[in-house]
Amino acid sequence: MGIPLNNFFNNFLSNSWIELAARWLLGVTFIYASYSKILAPAVFAKIIYGYDLFPGVLINLIAIIIPFVELVAGLALIIGFYPRSTALVIDAMLLVFIISLSINIIRGHEFDCGCFAINTGNQSTFSGPLLIRDLIYFALGIYVFFYKNPRRLCMGVN
Amino acid sequence: MAYAWLRFMKTAIEIGIILGISIVAAFAVNSFSPAGIALVGQWDTAQGVVTANVKNDIVIESIEIGTVDQARKLYDSGDYIFVDARSRDDYEEGHIKGAVSLPLGQFEEKIAAFMERYPPEASIVTYCSGRTCEDSHHLAEFLLGFGYNKINVFIDGFPGWEAHGHPIE
Repeated sequence: MGIPLNNFFNNFLSNSWIELAARWLLGVTFIYASYSKILAPAVFAKIIYGYDLFPGVLINLIAIIIPFVELVAGLALIIGFYPRSTALVIDAMLLVFIISLSINIIRGHEFDCGCFAINTGNQSTFSGPLLIRDLIYFALGIYVFFYKNPRRLCMGVN
Repeated sequence: MAYAWLRFMKTAIEIGIILGISIVAAFAVNSFSPAGIALVGQWDTAQGVVTANVKNDIVIESIEIGTVDQARKLYDSGDYIFVDARSRDDYEEGHIKGAVSLPLGQFEEKIAAFMERYPPEASIVTYCSGRTCEDSHHLAEFLLGFGYNKINVFIDGFPGWEAHGHPIE
C-alpha cells in the first residue's frame, strides 16, 4: 500500500519543474524580502535591535550585510548559480530567523517602540505564522539542496 | 573520502563566492546610498535615543532634553507647548496633560490646522514613546522646516513622564 504512494511522492520530488518552482519561489521571496531593508537599513537595524539578541556593535553590520546576502542568494537561485551552495546559505539565514523568533516567542519578548516607521505593534503578535512560514521555506531549501537530477534553467553545475 | 573532501571544499568555496559578492555589494551600496548607515550605531538607551546613525541623521543631540526633571521645569514654566508625535490611538490612551496631538504619520494633513493655532514663534517640546523612538526627532525636523525654530525634544517621552508620576490625561 505504502509503495505506490511513495513512488508518486518520489516522482513528484524528482520532477525538474517542481525543483524549478521551489527554487524560484525561494528566490523571489528572498529578493522581495531584501527590497525594503536595502531602501531603509536604519529601520531594519531598529527591528534587529528590537529582537534584543545581538550585541549593539554588530547590529549595524548585520543590517548592512544581511539584505544583500538575501538579494544575491535570491538572484543566484533564480538563475541557477551554484544552487546547492546557495540553498545552504538561504537555510543558514532561515535557521537564524527561526531560532530568533522561537527564543522571543518562548520568553514572551515583544518589541513595540511605538514608532511610526516600524509597526511592530501589529506584527509582533503574529510571530507564530511567521515562524511556520520560515519553516516551510527552510524545507524548500533542503529540497533544493538534496535534489539530484539535472536542473532546469540553470547556469551553474550542481 | 577524497571525493567527499573535494565536494566539501567546492561547497565552501561557492558559499565564499556568494557571501563575498554580497558583502562587497552591501558596503558599496551603503557608502553611496543617502539612506546608508554608520558601521556602528548607538544602541544603548542609557546614552540617549537609540539610532542606527543614518548619514543625514535626524537625531540632533543639541535640542534634546535629557532628563524628565528638566522637561518638568519647561512644562511648569507654561511657556512651552508639548507636542505628541505618536499615533492618535496612543495619544488617546494617555498623554502628557495639555499636550497637543500631531502624529508623525499624519503630519501633512494636520500641519495647517496646527500652524493656525500655534504660530512658528511658539516654543515647542516634542515627545514620543521614549528612547527607542525617533519620531519626536522627525517631528522636530519637520517643524523646523516650517519655520519653528524654538524646538526641544523630550527624549524620555510619555513612558518617562508617566513613570515619574507627572500629570497625564
